[in-house]
Amino acid sequence: MLGWLAVLAVTFTAVVGTNVAGVRDHFFEPATPAATPPALGRVAGDAPASGVAAARTSLRSYPWWQEVKTLQGVGTMTVPAFTIAEGAVQWRVKGTCQSGPIVVHSSSQARPVVDSLCSGEVTGYGSRSGSISLQVTADGPWKLTVAQQLDTPLVEPLLPAMTAAGSKAIASGSFYNIDKSATGRVTVYEQANGRYSLRLDDFFVSPNADLQLRFSTLEAPRSSRDYLSAKSEFIVVMDVTAGSLNFTIPAGGDPTLYKSVVVWRGPAKSAYAAASLRPVR
Amino acid sequence: MTTAPPLAAPAAGPKPRPEIVVRGRHIPVVLPKRTDPRLKLSATIWTITLLGLTVLSFQVSIPQIAVTVLLCAAIEVGVTYRREHVLVWPASALQTGISVAFIFRVAGQQHADRWSGRGLPIFAFVAVISLLPKYFIRHNNRHIFNPSNIGLAWALLLFGPSHVFSEHLWWAPLGVPILVAFAVIFGGAFWVLRQVKMIQLATMFLATFLPLIGLFALFGRTYWAGWHRGPVGGSFYWLTIALSPELLIFTFFMITDPQTAPKSKLGRLIYASLTAVVCAALILPQTTEFGIKVAILSSLLVTCALVPAIERLVKRIEARRSPEAAAAVAPKVPLARRLAIGLRNPVLVVVTVIAVAAPLNTLLLSRDRKVELIERGLVEKPVQ
Repeated sequence: MLGWLAVLAVTFTAVVGTNVAGVRDHFFEPATPAATPPALGRVAGDAPASGVAAARTSLRSYPWWQEVKTLQGVGTMTVPAFTIAEGAVQWRVKGTCQSGPIVVHSSSQARPVVDSLCSGEVTGYGSRSGSISLQVTADGPWKLTVAQQLDTPLVEPLLPAMTAAGSKAIASGSFYNIDKSATGRVTVYEQANGRYSLRLDDFFVSPNADLQLRFSTLEAPRSSRDYLSAKSEFIVVMDVTAGSLNFTIPAGGDPTLYKSVVVWRGPAKSAYAAASLRPVR
Repeated sequence: MTTAPPLAAPAAGPKPRPEIVVRGRHIPVVLPKRTDPRLKLSATIWTITLLGLTVLSFQVSIPQIAVTVLLCAAIEVGVTYRREHVLVWPASALQTGISVAFIFRVAGQQHADRWSGRGLPIFAFVAVISLLPKYFIRHNNRHIFNPSNIGLAWALLLFGPSHVFSEHLWWAPLGVPILVAFAVIFGGAFWVLRQVKMIQLATMFLATFLPLIGLFALFGRTYWAGWHRGPVGGSFYWLTIALSPELLIFTFFMITDPQTAPKSKLGRLIYASLTAVVCAALILPQTTEFGIKVAILSSLLVTCALVPAIERLVKRIEARRSPEAAAAVAPKVPLARRLAIGLRNPVLVVVTVIAVAAPLNTLLLSRDRKVELIERGLVEKPVQ
């Protein structure tokens, strides 16, 4: 009897060990979240662009805001329902109104999402997902933008300016780890109008707030101290930390003066990762 | 001319056997002999563990080591006492315990946290599954699997890379600490293996395994490891596997276990080369350090399960060479009958499940992209 119990126990643990159909993950919480499709644009419902890889992934971004809907009206009214994605961390309503108080009730929670006077910008938050409708009570005109916070990667199509006639990729490189982990490629484009933009493909960096992309004159910075020892230039603050992303380099920025791109976290003075730029032939 | 026999020494009476008295009951105590090779092996592994705790930054704590070692010892003392009513010094179990604690790690364990109690139940579980097969999975009065090998391999496959791992293949950059560790491993190996006559077996394993790993490196195989920027490839692939302290310990102190290796010289050579081939075959598709370490451990589960078959094969080979050996070979039983007998024997079923599941699950690891994400540090391991 004991022998056959042992057979059962060994067989059971062998099956769990296969992790087929996530059986191991069912018993022991995995480090990797379930693979989900990435977001396909900064606005919910953006259609997948042709030629953009949007495979399901277990990688996660630092939570970022994706616009869901812009609503506007005058006085009290019920606005059409919108959908908050199943995996959304939370959602928010942000906007302006002109006079008196504004109260926004949601179908998903008893407490009002917004209950304030129209002085500047009003903001309120909700946490339920699914179909949500809002009841807005106000005296005058108002405009609200609904956004949902996601941690899925964002996969954007190339900017039209990157593919326009006269635009070309001038440099590229692959990310390597410094203080944290990163993967993916960076490509710098010279646009037809003489400005520059930058694209990250299949990119991931250990998620955190306040991450910046910066150019460095070093060919391959190996440490934060190394990075700080040379000239660098700010490119952009990264609101999304995973996916395939586009960034326009600020006017006057000249990437040809630099040899690498660094993911930098200012508050911690930490170079998370870097990619050496090589000319594209 | 003849020589007179030497004068007999004065009779000294039998040496009293040590015993303890519990509630009036005399319980014999069996202590280890100084020449016991297990003590030498323990001394070697303890030395490396101390190096790991002090200068090699092993991610293991003193409570984790204590729980594993003491639980193994308690199980062995308890089982032996229950079976033989003798208190035996648990030399083998202590050896198993320190081998497990020396290699096994739980996710989230910090290098410097020497008093961490993280994952103690997991360490206890590994201690239990290392020791129990020794008493219950047996053939011809010998246990089939090396205790620490089965505990480590099974636990790594069961819990997966999100929760557990084994010590890194490459412990530290080349320097004094790692050179001292190599000296202890090679010195300990020579000290132990010479006594148990296993140097030839270990050499045969390495002679088969190292060229195979060299071929993999030559053909561009790489793997991801948390301690290395980018994939490990080329000559460093070969170096970090072939000269990995983990692999050397596996070679010198696991596959050479006299209790689980074949008895005959030819059988040992077949077993060593087969282990090397299975090990290399399981390593080939792996793209992560975790997968490679599990592949190394799993290979021995396969070949240990095949030891009875290897011994039968050796007897048949010897039977062809000499008529005396032929007489000793048992008549061939038809396969269908052997299967029918086997299916009624739970021990045989368990051995088969382990020998099939271990390599299969190891191969499945190579297809699991999440393992690579963990190894590359692209996802954080959960805090337990």
